[in-house]
Amino acid sequence: MSREEALRKRARELLESKQVVMVVGHRAASTKGKAQPAFIAKPEDAESLIFDETCGQNLAGHLLKVKHLGKIAVVTKGCDSRSILVLLKEKQLDRAQLHILGVGCEGVKEDGKLSDSCITCEYPNPIVCDEMLGEPAPGDRLQTLNPKPQTGELTSDERWRELSEDVSRCIRCYACRQVCPNCYCPVCFVDASQPALVGKTTELSDNMVFHIMRALHMAGRCVECGSCARACPMGIDLMKFNRKAAQIVKERFNVVAGVKEDDAPALTVFDPNDKQEFIR
Amino acid sequence: MSTAEPHPQEAGSQEPEPKIVAFLCNWCSYAGADLAGISRIQYPASIRVIRVPCSGRVDPFHILKALQSGADGVLVSGCHPGDCHYLTGNYVARRRFAVLNDLLEFAGIDPGRVSFSWVSAAEGERFAEVVREVTEKVKALGPNRKLVKEPAS
Repeated sequence: MSREEALRKRARELLESKQVVMVVGHRAASTKGKAQPAFIAKPEDAESLIFDETCGQNLAGHLLKVKHLGKIAVVTKGCDSRSILVLLKEKQLDRAQLHILGVGCEGVKEDGKLSDSCITCEYPNPIVCDEMLGEPAPGDRLQTLNPKPQTGELTSDERWRELSEDVSRCIRCYACRQVCPNCYCPVCFVDASQPALVGKTTELSDNMVFHIMRALHMAGRCVECGSCARACPMGIDLMKFNRKAAQIVKERFNVVAGVKEDDAPALTVFDPNDKQEFIR
Repeated sequence: MSTAEPHPQEAGSQEPEPKIVAFLCNWCSYAGADLAGISRIQYPASIRVIRVPCSGRVDPFHILKALQSGADGVLVSGCHPGDCHYLTGNYVARRRFAVLNDLLEFAGIDPGRVSFSWVSAAEGERFAEVVREVTEKVKALGPNRKLVKEPAS
């Protein structure tokens, strides 16, 4: 039985037996070759669930919008499960109110091309799940496809110029924030007006501050699912910042977001022996 | 950039000081600066002090906002690790600053634009030394051009 068939069957069973009130998954969107999140509450609707290479949306964030309904089953690939772990640690979700349907992910494709973040993905299978549907995805396949992108040895000015080109295209639509599974602040720093922390214009300075602060807020939390980069209408490689932040957190504090159940988010704790070579 | 008023660092011949915003912890570095003052220790008049309750109060936003608003450099100074008035404020801040420091470097903001230091209330001489050093570094980098916002026209 394929993952998709197993998923539909199981979703129907869970809804019929009233073990869950809703199954959150993917279904085909009206645009061909795209998927959208599906919120299935009736057993007969379970047939519309799909799971294939178009199902790139990280569903963890959507759980926050439906968690008040009761116990929710959620279709979970590697990155979704990492996001769920981050949300659990941040006390945004209750594990007892989740039924995690694990699926192995072969990588998300955009216009037939494997998404960048999937090329470097090390966790195609869920870290936590209540049951695995279908076969797990081969864990090393994606890893060996391509090495991690190298930033190379550039001078400060070269890096500034390179990132400026990216960042100056930003129109500040905040699609990256909307789609991010781990962005849930009631008032986002970009919307705060008292104090207005970040300028709302699209000039380079404001854009750069926005992107630096976004990366900083995601440091130790971003699971590198690549949803933001896929959502960006201007085609900015937002993962450049996120990947860097994740790399800093890993190198400095030896923490990878959402791969362990019992560690704390990196920036909420400390070690008295943290490196401080940059402090005089 | 408006042409009417040259940057203070470029104007005049007597090499004016750069503008450096200093976030100083009330319980240590601020008192350290005070000690430097009452001990008549000489250091460059480049810093504009903002007194904060703890280095943990300093949000990376404050640092970036200072740079956006035309500061040539930022200094954040707090209590030595283990000496925080609130026990662990500077430890948590240290992690945040570490990520910010590396991210700024990644974004191409010159290292040295933003400095961090630990200065206790008893270290007046050290405070002066830190300010001298930071001022030299910022001077060498020249005026902040990268993150500063163009004045509204």
